[in-house]
Amino acid sequence: MERRDFLKQSTLASSLFFVPNFVKALENVSKNNMKHKKLVIIQLTGGNDGLNTIIPYTNDIYFKNRPGIAIRKNSIIKATDQLGFHQNLAPLKNLYDQGYVSVINNVGYPNPNRSHFRSTDIWQTASNADEYLTSGWVGRFIEKYGKNPYTAIELDDSLSLIMKGENINGIATRNPNVLFQNTNTPFFKKVLEQQTDAHLSEHNLGYLYKTMIEAKSSAKYIYETSKTYKSTFEYPNNPFGSQLKTTAEFINSDLDSKIYYVSMGGFDTHANQLNKQSKLLQTYADAIAVFVEDLKKNDSFKDTLILTFSEFGRRVQQNAAGGTDHGAANNIFLIGENLKKKGFYNDAPNLLNLDANGDVRHTIDFRTVYATILDKWLQVDDTSILNKSFSKLDFI
Amino acid sequence: MKHKHIQHLYCRASFGADINDLIQFKSKSKSKVISQLFKDSQDFKPLELDLAEFSDIKFKSYKELRDKYTIAEIQKLRQKQQQKIRDLNYAWLERLTEPNFLLREKMTLFWANVFVCRDNDIYFIQQYNNTLREHALGDFKAFVKAIAKEPSMSKYLNNRQNVKKKPNENFARELMELFTLGVGNYTEQDIKESARAFTGWSYKRNGAFNLRKPQHDYGLKTFFGKTGNFDGDDIIAIILEQKQCAKFICTKVYKYFINSKIDAKRVEEITDIFFKDYNISNLMRYIFSSKWFYDDKNIGVKIKSPVELLIGIQKVVPVNFNNKRQLNYLQKMMGQILLYPNNVAGWKGGKSWIDSNSLMFRMKLAALILNNAMINLEEKGEFEDAFERYYKNIKKRNRFIKTTKNWSEFDKKYKNCTALELTDVLIVSKLDKDTESFIKNLQVKSNRNFCIQLMSIPEYQLC
Repeated sequence: MERRDFLKQSTLASSLFFVPNFVKALENVSKNNMKHKKLVIIQLTGGNDGLNTIIPYTNDIYFKNRPGIAIRKNSIIKATDQLGFHQNLAPLKNLYDQGYVSVINNVGYPNPNRSHFRSTDIWQTASNADEYLTSGWVGRFIEKYGKNPYTAIELDDSLSLIMKGENINGIATRNPNVLFQNTNTPFFKKVLEQQTDAHLSEHNLGYLYKTMIEAKSSAKYIYETSKTYKSTFEYPNNPFGSQLKTTAEFINSDLDSKIYYVSMGGFDTHANQLNKQSKLLQTYADAIAVFVEDLKKNDSFKDTLILTFSEFGRRVQQNAAGGTDHGAANNIFLIGENLKKKGFYNDAPNLLNLDANGDVRHTIDFRTVYATILDKWLQVDDTSILNKSFSKLDFI
Repeated sequence: MKHKHIQHLYCRASFGADINDLIQFKSKSKSKVISQLFKDSQDFKPLELDLAEFSDIKFKSYKELRDKYTIAEIQKLRQKQQQKIRDLNYAWLERLTEPNFLLREKMTLFWANVFVCRDNDIYFIQQYNNTLREHALGDFKAFVKAIAKEPSMSKYLNNRQNVKKKPNENFARELMELFTLGVGNYTEQDIKESARAFTGWSYKRNGAFNLRKPQHDYGLKTFFGKTGNFDGDDIIAIILEQKQCAKFICTKVYKYFINSKIDAKRVEEITDIFFKDYNISNLMRYIFSSKWFYDDKNIGVKIKSPVELLIGIQKVVPVNFNNKRQLNYLQKMMGQILLYPNNVAGWKGGKSWIDSNSLMFRMKLAALILNNAMINLEEKGEFEDAFERYYKNIKKRNRFIKTTKNWSEFDKKYKNCTALELTDVLIVSKLDKDTESFIKNLQVKSNRNFCIQLMSIPEYQLC
């Protein structure tokens, strides 16, 4: 690549600020139609206990297996004649009542792995259980359709595997100002001022310089663009609330990013689960509710789909410490305005047919969810991103 | 030996040469320098923590423990035992900065990413780590057999659940896929048959190998066209008869020690050498002695791993981390925590170390460690963390890496160096005219300061 072309591409973002005013005016007119679809991915890290989140409140097996930690029938917010929401998910149930939520039960993969690390790898790379991929599925999306690190943003300070492609990666930031300052030290500027063709053409050295340039221009673009919208909504005062607030600011400032990834920690409830999990669900649902309001107010909810998953569910039977151990298939949430199948997408987990470990068996492969989102929502070729063709579901 | 070649050899066989090495080896022949390198690594010094406080928890039965401790105390001891693995991590990093056993330690680091393993039992993982160290330059055949008998490996790849009645194929599969042959070089039937040969392989509480005879399948197995009452050792011997095994390992060696861009002809050349006797020392000696190892295209083109970067800096300016926990932070932010690989496939290395975030961090590393630079980025929480703990660091807006720098050691070696000499020691990557003039224009206030600046340019990321 010629140096000039390269620079053009990598500084494209910042040069957007110099487009003539009439072009901007045009953009504004058709803004609503021009908006691209966005996906927000939330991982409930640690393995959320799906059975105490969406509760099969008429199932005897559920109560028998969890004498100490089953959620009492009278506290559940009933949704169907079999399933109900945890009472702290009231804000989510509220969205559900408006037709903004689709719950897919029993999502997982064959030969489930019960290690946090490995199962997170599997979910993030979209691999088989016996396959080790070194790029994430979002990373491969960036590689194919984004070309810029800011195509996908992780709300954190370092990048997870899900965001990594082979030659280009997403970018992580919790705070665009911090990111901008870190890529704008006088020394880095000096280093970049002297970059030449020769640098960029060298194999690994070129890759380093190219990454630096991209980091700098992405940081600048994210910072300067997101400055234009500051959320006035009051998010819960906790780190997850801040992550979602920043995400809303990114989306509502029309940042050209397509995927956001947020990890919410704390779900590895091996002991004294009841109290811990109900707080977590509260934190999750409260922040989600404000987030959706924020997007709606700015007319961007209709272009946003929120996917919530966990690396695995938890065992049906409680353990001796008033908690649950690592399990297998789990429910996932999809939140958005354009859901085709609102409410519950499929049947509740079959507790009569557990696997050898006593865990819920999967009936839906998580990659069919990805494939559906890629194909129908982001409208890209899912097969080339997932390295394989998966059947599509009908939720969107 | 040429200055540039000494530096290249030491970058790959260790973590870089210092000015004394360069002066000392200048008048020596290449073969002498290489012989010295191997001689210095002849012996093997295990890495051992004092684990006395955990001997009860490790060796006593639960009943015996209960006589002595409350349940809470037992839990606490167990947790502490697991946390001790971090201490082993720090001790290992410290070992890497020491001037002894250079090649053996670098090889140990390499093998840890071939025979990838992870365990939360400090006794077992320490033993495992020392098995890597012991065999790092030895006979590869004995090496694989030893690895297969390690408790940590047995736990990690479920071989202890591998019993005659219900074979577990995990170890057999990864042994071939990730440790010796590579995917596609065996059949599913080979996996099934070899898994049977490893049935009943287990370990004793003290870490010794234990064959549980009733669980072992003594029947006939057919593996790679051979039939016999094979056990695990026989299977490993048959795997090593495949030239593909030598090629698989040599490809990894080539990528790690020579160039991430594979040269098929050279890989074939070293495969022939390795396949002769599977002697690791012979292989490495052959490589380091080859003329082509010192070709320009192989010098300064490898992206340093986070550990190579971290240790390389400390080799120039010795540093003591006052808060060892911060070593964990640094490794985590750069994506490589020793003893905590993400999965059995290990770290991919090369370009995969680099993304926008990690590169900015890596380029700031020298200033963080040596210049009290401030950093406002936080590590991710752990899977097991509760919510508050998961995010606990976020509020601490700015942090410093608290270190004690031994600048006097640096001054002793480099005080009287010219800027050009210091550049030559620290930067092995090609410098083009622009970078050279950039470096020339840096204000050299002092060699200490200049050293940190050099460590902050992209070229320093390469070795």
